[in-house]
Formats: sequence, C-alpha cells, structure tokens
Amino acid sequence: MRLEMGTFPVHDVTFGASTRYDAGRLTIDRDAVLAAVRQDPRIATAELEIAHPGESVRIWPVRDVIEPRVKVEGRGVCYPGICDREITTVGTGRTHRLAGLGVVEVSSVNWHDAGGDFVETYLDMSGPYGEMYPYARLFNVCLVVEPDAGLGEEVKNYAVHKAALTVADRLAEAVRGLTPPETEVFELGPVDPSLPKVVYIWCVHSPQAMSGSPTAFCTATYGLTQLTPPWYLHPNEILDGALTGPYRTAYAMSWTVANNPLFLDLYRRHGRDWNFLGVISLRTEWTTQTEKQLMANQTAKLAKQLGADGAVVTWDAGGNEFIEVVRSIQACERLGIKTVFLTSEDDATEGAPTMLEPLPEADAIVSTSFFKNVTLAVPEAPAVARVIGVPTKKILRGSAIGLHAGADASLPTAGPLPPPWRYDDHYGFGSLSCTE
Amino acid sequence: MGIPVGMISAIYNFALTTGANRVIRGARIEHVCGDPTLSPEKDYAFGMHIVRTALAAITVAVPGPTLFDPMQERK
Repeated sequence: MRLEMGTFPVHDVTFGASTRYDAGRLTIDRDAVLAAVRQDPRIATAELEIAHPGESVRIWPVRDVIEPRVKVEGRGVCYPGICDREITTVGTGRTHRLAGLGVVEVSSVNWHDAGGDFVETYLDMSGPYGEMYPYARLFNVCLVVEPDAGLGEEVKNYAVHKAALTVADRLAEAVRGLTPPETEVFELGPVDPSLPKVVYIWCVHSPQAMSGSPTAFCTATYGLTQLTPPWYLHPNEILDGALTGPYRTAYAMSWTVANNPLFLDLYRRHGRDWNFLGVISLRTEWTTQTEKQLMANQTAKLAKQLGADGAVVTWDAGGNEFIEVVRSIQACERLGIKTVFLTSEDDATEGAPTMLEPLPEADAIVSTSFFKNVTLAVPEAPAVARVIGVPTKKILRGSAIGLHAGADASLPTAGPLPPPWRYDDHYGFGSLSCTE
Repeated sequence: MGIPVGMISAIYNFALTTGANRVIRGARIEHVCGDPTLSPEKDYAFGMHIVRTALAAITVAVPGPTLFDPMQERK
C-alpha cells in the first residue's frame, strides 16, 4: 500500500469571489460554500467566519476541527464512512491536504441525550490558553451551524458534521488539480530484518455504553463508533482519515487524529529505527470485566501474530476505559511484547493513584500532564475582543478557580472564562513541562 | 471492629486489586444490579439475588479481598 501525500501549506486565508489556492494564500467563496451547506434541509442556520493565529478571538462551542484532505488518485474518499461517505478501503494513490488550516465545527448540538457527555471545548486563538493547544497556530475556517431544532440528537449530529465536511471538501477541491509544493511518500516497505518490530495500539473511545446507541457520534472507524473487537489499520488508512470524527476533548478531534505526532513519528522512522507494523485500534468503554479482559487478550494476541517486539499505547478517554487499556499492556508484556504507554494523569488528590489500576507490567510510561485543568491550575482565559459562535456559555461543572469559583451559571463567552474541564493531551502535542 | 462493607461492582477485579474486602460481582456498568433484557419480574429477582449475595457477604469474615459471585451461584 503506497500513498503520496501532497501538502499545500496555508499562510493566509481571505474571503473572495472564488475558492482557490495560490502560493500559500487560500481564497474562499463564502456564498458558494454556504450554499452547499444549506442544500441539506436539516440545516437551519449556517455562517462562515475566519479566525487568524494570534487574534483575540474565542470560538465556542467547538465540536470538531477538520483538516481538508482530498483523494486525487486511487480508490475511495478521504474521511471514509462517516456521515454516509463511501467505505472503500483507503490508503493508496495520492492525497492532497491543506496544512496549517482547520475547518471548525461550531455548534451547540450535544453528543447524545442520555446525559453525562457535554460539549465543553472552546478555542482561543491567542493568550495562555490558546498556547496550550495546536489549534491557535492554525487558520481556522469556522462553520457556525445549527440544525433544525425538531430533529433527534443523532440526526442533528449527522447534519452538523456533514456540513463541516462539506466545507472541508470544498476547500480541499481547490488544490485537487495543483502540483503540491511538498510531497511525502508513505509505505511500509521491506526493512533490515534485525530492526525491532513495533506496533501502535491506538485506543479510541466508543460512546455506545454512555449513549445507549451503537451509532452515536464520536471518533469513528470508517464511520463506525460502536463497541467492536480490535481492528488492524494500515497507517495509510489513518492518513486518509479512516479514523476521524468530532470528539468531546480537544486533543482527539479529527485534526489531532490526522496529525498525531506519535503516529507520524512511528511511521517516518520505519526502516531507520524500527520496523513499524501498523496500527491496532481498540474501541474502549466495554462494560463488564469479562469483555474488558477479552479485548485486552485479543489485542495482545493480534500484536503477537503481527510479530511485534514492542508496542506503543495511547488512549483518548478517562475512567473505567483505563481497565481494557492497561490490561492490554499487561497482556502484551506477558506475551513478551515490550510496551510504552503515553497518558495523561488522573487527579492525585488525597493520595489516590494517578492511574486507576496501576499494574506492575505497565512500567514504561510517558506522562503528558494532568487531565483536569483544575489539577493543572490552568488560569482563567482572559477576555477576548471577538467571539465566533454562541455569545454565552453555561458553566456545567462549576469552576474551582478564579472569578467564577463555585459558579454554575451562564457567562458571556467573551470572558474571562474558566478553561474547559479537561486537558488531556492524548498524543503528545503539548509542550508543558514540570518542576518538582 | 469496624463496619463490614460489601462493594457491588461490574468491574470487580479493579475493586479487588484496590483493596475492597468483600466484592460482589455486578451485571454491567450501565446496570450493576439489573438486566433490562429480562421481564420486570425477572429483572427484580435478578437484582434481589445480587443484593442478597451482598448482604450475605457482609455477615462473613474474610481474610482479604474476596469475590462473591452471584452469577456463579445461579448456574
């Protein structure tokens, strides 16, 4: 499986009379893009705005950030399966991408109506909070979109994500016929047989148990989010967006999955430092001990059958999902596969362990800091000059810090605002360091 | 002499490794003491069986973390 990735860096974005890319400058025909979005009768309102890196602007509510990618040669479409896109196996031919650009899905549609999960992410394009995320360095084309209020939650999710993908597709079409300034070839070619064989165990949350629906929206595998046994994915499938979708934490949205630095490094060093075997993707949040252990056993078995000497493990959630993740690590180690685990840490107040089940086999761990912004003592996000999206924000969990301590109310989004509840850097994007 | 505690948990191994003394195996995270696929009468009986197992568990002495499995007894 061979994939050429053509990269078109974006250095400026403006609205104009036609949608085109010229030497790093992307011009967007706003009316034409919005007309395409509004063709879907499920869409009630849609607006398009641009947020620039470093600008005093806040985007709220943020459900997803998508990097525009288009399949130029070869089978299938980028971001396959989700919102009924075709499910042809991707990963061959040539794909073009707009780098340094995000299409932001700005909508108040919640994930599902079963309770417990809420949209809580907002993005700042400047200031201390913006600096913690990769998105403040992107040109963000924000689709502020709301669906027909009379629709069910799942159809609303479908409608607004499809709308965001429509925008991404329109922008990516601008570079379909152009010669990419940068091209990189990705394939798992033959390597020195003495190199260690390494697999990436990429655990992704399933909303099925929490929502009660096997088709609730989340990071999807060819469109599927339900609880399924572990998948083997060729890394080129990932590059073409086989794993994609909106998500409740900022570091596991479509853009961060597509640009996961750990994954890209594993791939780029194939043949030099190791033999990269590809990706085992494990759905998490199984709800019995037996199921969790079964998934761990099967994940390790699959890694062993692939010939793995080592495995790098990440996850994108919290709580009980840790069990199948850490037991996959245990099962790998017991089969002789060395593991390294990249994770944020849980709240260690009152002597609780920073990991839910600290098994002795999980003995090589890279911490990406605490997963709660309160534990991290992230300061309030300062007031901004402009808001893209909804002008008020409900403080769902109250705030333990600053001006809004104890608040459980609606606040003006322009701020100052407490940071979102979670900060879990799943794939090592961040640059936080610590002192002891 | 403290108060004996029985912990009903679907993820019972985790309860055992973290040191709970009497752990009673529950059904699922979504419905620890029930099964919505059963009729209301059978669901109630199933839930009562788990709770009675838990009540029995707190009447006995245990040497350390111990699993009480209502599902095993039903077979």
